[in-house]
Amino acid sequence: MTVLPWLVALWLFAIGIYGIITSRHYVHLIGCLGVVQSSTYVFLLSAGYRWGAGAPIFYDHPPGTPAVDPVVQALVLTDIVVGATVTALLLALVLQVHKRRGTVDPEKLQPMRR
Amino acid sequence: MKRDARLALAAAAALALLPGIVLVIAHLPDFGRHPLPYGEAINGAATRERHVTNMVTAVNFDYRGLDTLGEEFMLLGAVTGTLVLLRGRRGENVSDAPAEAEGRPIPPRSDAVALACRFFAPVLLLFGIYVVLHAQLTPGGGFQGGAIIGSGALLLYLGEGYRIWRRLVRSHLFDAVEATGALIFALAGWAPMIFGAKFLENILPLGKTGALISGGLILVTNAGVALAVAGGFVLLMVEFLEETRTTKEDER
Repeated sequence: MTVLPWLVALWLFAIGIYGIITSRHYVHLIGCLGVVQSSTYVFLLSAGYRWGAGAPIFYDHPPGTPAVDPVVQALVLTDIVVGATVTALLLALVLQVHKRRGTVDPEKLQPMRR
Repeated sequence: MKRDARLALAAAAALALLPGIVLVIAHLPDFGRHPLPYGEAINGAATRERHVTNMVTAVNFDYRGLDTLGEEFMLLGAVTGTLVLLRGRRGENVSDAPAEAEGRPIPPRSDAVALACRFFAPVLLLFGIYVVLHAQLTPGGGFQGGAIIGSGALLLYLGEGYRIWRRLVRSHLFDAVEATGALIFALAGWAPMIFGAKFLENILPLGKTGALISGGLILVTNAGVALAVAGGFVLLMVEFLEETRTTKEDER
């Protein structure tokens, strides 16, 4: 029994969360969020893996050849692109925070006063 | 919250979750040796039913096209949000002059960079179009191809500098490309309903398996995604690169 893929996913998730908790810079925090997100890629692709199977492309070998799960691959594919644009949105928010409050340290950022 | 409090809370949460995580990992199916009912169903049926050879494309743009529609609008929403946040505050008062951080002068661009970018920008653009067009046959599709095309556009900035980048990459044009992509996908969903079919039902002629024109509606939705992703990536780069310029002092 192989548990390594699951452990890699868990490890990526855990170090990402640790980075978010101890972060002192919002750009670093968004990078850590990316690490957490990549743990889901590892997890999904491992869930769809099968020993001895090829890519789910039947261009040069006939349908019916053993292939890994295409459903999780489709999920990961859209996840990556949407994740990239959401990261851009978060970075834009960081720029705005820096312009308005002059800091990008989550601890120095106090709640807004009325 | 203070650092110590955050760490203590995280440690407590990790300790509480640890037994559950260990239990779940111990009960996960054997890696690489468990049944894949949905994947098997797609792998067995898509070539026969949709005349495509790339199963991932069949899932993304046909069987679960509705999910991709949602994801495409998420992408549109994220890009729009970024644009509103960055452009709204800055306005149109950007000058050509680069903003310089204190004590960090901007080195001139070397000829090697300019040459490499001139060579690779068209190659990347062409490769992106190739990846988009062969979505239904080989690995690739609108998402990947769109991202590659966007990266090719960024090489223009790297190699030619800001002025030429701005002259070639008009944000109004890419606003339109982005919106058109999303619109094409939405219309591809509604159009079959005019002919009495279901939303996003593949009613176009499917073509011959393995040909460039095959897969019916998959071609249309794939093109929509490619336009939206390429437009969105270029728009994001335009807005972030505008942030590296100084604003015009007198108009502030």
